[in-house]
Amino acid sequence: MESTIPQHPQNEKRSINITIISAEGLYKRTLFLFPDPFVIITVDGEQTCTTKALKKTLTPIWNEEFTISVFPSSVITVQVFDQKKFKKKGQGFLGVINIQVSQHINIYSDAEEIIKQKLRNSNSSDPVEGNLIVKLKSTALPNNIPSSLSNSEQPSAVTNDEALTNVASSSSDPSNNPISSNSISEDLPSGWEQRMDHLGRIYYVDHNSRTTTWKKPTAPAASLQQPRFLPDDETQNTNETSNETSNETNTTTTNTEESSNVLGPLPSGWEQRLTPEGRPYFVNHIARTTTWEDPRLRNIRAPDGSRAAFVAGIAGQTANYLGPLPSGWEMRLTGAGRVYFVDHNTKTTTWDDPRLPSNLDQSVPQYKRDFRRKYVYFRSQLPMRPIAGQCHLKVRRESIMEDSYSQIMSLPPFELKKRLMIKFDGEDGLDYGGVSRDYFYMLSHEMFNPEYCLFEYSAHDTYTLQISPNSSVNPEHLKYFKFIGKAMGLAIFHRRFLDGFFTSSFYKMILRKPITLDDMQSVDDEIYRSMVWALQNDVTDMEFRFTVDELKFGQVVEIELKPGGKDIEVTEENKKEWVQLNVQYRICDRIKDQFSAFLSGFYELVPQDMIQVFDERELELLIGGLSETDIDDWKKHTDYRGYTETDQVIQWFWQCVNDMDSERRSRLLQFTTGTSRIPVNGFKDLQGSDGPRRFTIEKAGDINSLPKSHTCFNRIDLPPYNDYQTLSYKLTLAIENTVGFGQE
Amino acid sequence: MALRRISKELKDLERDPPSTCSAGPVSDDVFHWQATIMGPSDSPYNGGVFFLSIHFPTDYPFKPPKASIISISFTTRIYHPNINSNGSICLDILKDQWSPALTISKVLLSICSMLTDPNPDDPLVPEIAHIYKTDRETYESTAREWTRKFASKLSSL
Repeated sequence: MESTIPQHPQNEKRSINITIISAEGLYKRTLFLFPDPFVIITVDGEQTCTTKALKKTLTPIWNEEFTISVFPSSVITVQVFDQKKFKKKGQGFLGVINIQVSQHINIYSDAEEIIKQKLRNSNSSDPVEGNLIVKLKSTALPNNIPSSLSNSEQPSAVTNDEALTNVASSSSDPSNNPISSNSISEDLPSGWEQRMDHLGRIYYVDHNSRTTTWKKPTAPAASLQQPRFLPDDETQNTNETSNETSNETNTTTTNTEESSNVLGPLPSGWEQRLTPEGRPYFVNHIARTTTWEDPRLRNIRAPDGSRAAFVAGIAGQTANYLGPLPSGWEMRLTGAGRVYFVDHNTKTTTWDDPRLPSNLDQSVPQYKRDFRRKYVYFRSQLPMRPIAGQCHLKVRRESIMEDSYSQIMSLPPFELKKRLMIKFDGEDGLDYGGVSRDYFYMLSHEMFNPEYCLFEYSAHDTYTLQISPNSSVNPEHLKYFKFIGKAMGLAIFHRRFLDGFFTSSFYKMILRKPITLDDMQSVDDEIYRSMVWALQNDVTDMEFRFTVDELKFGQVVEIELKPGGKDIEVTEENKKEWVQLNVQYRICDRIKDQFSAFLSGFYELVPQDMIQVFDERELELLIGGLSETDIDDWKKHTDYRGYTETDQVIQWFWQCVNDMDSERRSRLLQFTTGTSRIPVNGFKDLQGSDGPRRFTIEKAGDINSLPKSHTCFNRIDLPPYNDYQTLSYKLTLAIENTVGFGQE
Repeated sequence: MALRRISKELKDLERDPPSTCSAGPVSDDVFHWQATIMGPSDSPYNGGVFFLSIHFPTDYPFKPPKASIISISFTTRIYHPNINSNGSICLDILKDQWSPALTISKVLLSICSMLTDPNPDDPLVPEIAHIYKTDRETYESTAREWTRKFASKLSSL
């Protein structure tokens, strides 16, 4: 294709191995889609091998090996393409490198070189970025191997070794490749392990004798670890022909083993084993499952979401997404395969992952612990993980609802799952968390404002919200409900709280749980009591019918709970059905359209099966955080900078907080942290822009100035006022008059 | 269903009117009634006539009716521990003790009996409740005085 170098007949051709290891920093040609890159190898313009395509990645790791025959003067052209485009139009070119063989290795001797080259453009003007990493390896052979591609003569994969299958599997359509290249041959003797040092050299560890060596130990088949039985339809077929190819196998397997190290060690709790046929498979000791697929490759490929990736246990899996452990910590497995953590600093062990929001407190009630475990699981799931990149929303405070509506509704979930960067028009606050918290707080006040008739307060009290059955006064109401659902999903996705509490049935309906009479209590206590009364008393001659009266725009409308309900009298026999229908209608049916619009938006960001790990109580916490402020907990988890806890000003500060009513306390919290909501586990889990940040009081500012806040860091700058009255006055003034962000 | 039930109650009231009170729709809106209660003879409200406004909720009889004393002047002048100056009546059957088996007729009779026997332990106007409990004579004379001044036919019209 690319190369035009002529053959040099004066030299002998030799078979060498080329391993397409990986590429990094590929050019992203379309805004929303990652490429499915694959590689085409061409030798002197004629032999062609193809890797399979990896899904949606700019950093593919193919790690596929091929045998090609070359002259020293041969030029190997390695091209990267995006399969999606390639299939359609023969386009999707992502770059090329040309390798002149003799510049790198002497093909007649034992030689090996890893080549990393910058991808170049060919003749089009499309931009190209990134590097390609390949390995060439030649072996000094007494007998020459016929100079042709091994696969061209062996169209079907007939081998007892996965590694050789790769050699033989270069069909023209990369997606047809029947066996993936990700499994790694490791026929080392039992107790041996292959590792790579920091220079990339392979060495071998003998765990039996606790020694290391550069030399690869010989691997008699008998010494292989006792493999587990795995049903495998491919192995039968390969067994029959294994003898024919055994000669070639010897030369190729060694190379593949080494290339496996590019991926680094297996995740904790995983082990690689071999089937009796020598095919590698992977054991997850945590989840007690086995798979053909290399877990290291699975994580790389995870973004395509095609595999329900996390069949395995929660503990082992979530660990992969939390980043490195803190210094001095180590993760280990018990004999039973359960993960635990060792803190070498304090010489203690714990079941709880130190990277999680807080260490398990014995005082935390059980339901909260359950919630935390569910929460960790929830956050670890693929649909709930942020996508790389940023999502910018720019809104005006005075029209936050309209501005948010137009932007959130026009962006696909894919965009909204990127890191959210909110900017308020005319303010220069940078969103490291504080601005978006303030944003969702303000937005929820608009969305749920009963004046807009989308939501109303339940009859139960004056703060739990429910969808208004009369919302259709706004002809656009269903679009708004979809928007509100999407915005709520967005807040959950980005770990922000909404300032709104809903009836328990609202949460249950999100979870698609059945509604019962008990749910009526939080919707309308009076109706609830009448229903209970009806169940407990004789309703004969009460002249109740299977209808519900509803006020629709000033008119009382009688709605039948079932066909002909107007004429069906409620009796002792049918009263249970009547109560059930009543509850169903009053809670669900009369807002059916609104709620399904809401849900369609909500599930765009938080899929139903994800949110269903929670119960309705937990969902309320997830959406709204805690509502009451525990001052003792607050005090206990506050840090001081420039002050100590015993300073007079600090004592006045807490006295002042004590004297505040809950609303003002919420305002103080909002002033300092951006939201009045407290994390589920209390103040110790207060989050800043860069992870956990405790509430902090800093000694800063002139005694004539007002306190200032840094919501990104949950910090309040408190000048050292001279008396309680001044402190109380200035603090109140600051928290009651601050709307908007100056510098963060 | 509410309409059917309210109509039935109206019919019952017309057929068998209670001796000390009356009630009926204000206009053609059957959900809004006005009622009158005669001050019970064995109470300091004897001789007074009290007007009530009654609103039936859409969900009647599964929710209680809303009843309050209305006045001819700006503020309601009835001196009672369970009725405040807005005319709000604090009566359990109008709140959490309501049941669909109750009717307006029974509500009005309950209000009458409340005039005779105030409930100072669950007061709406604590000051009056206090006087009722500590100085019954002052309570009775003030209640009589207010009834004469603000609720008797002679003075008000």
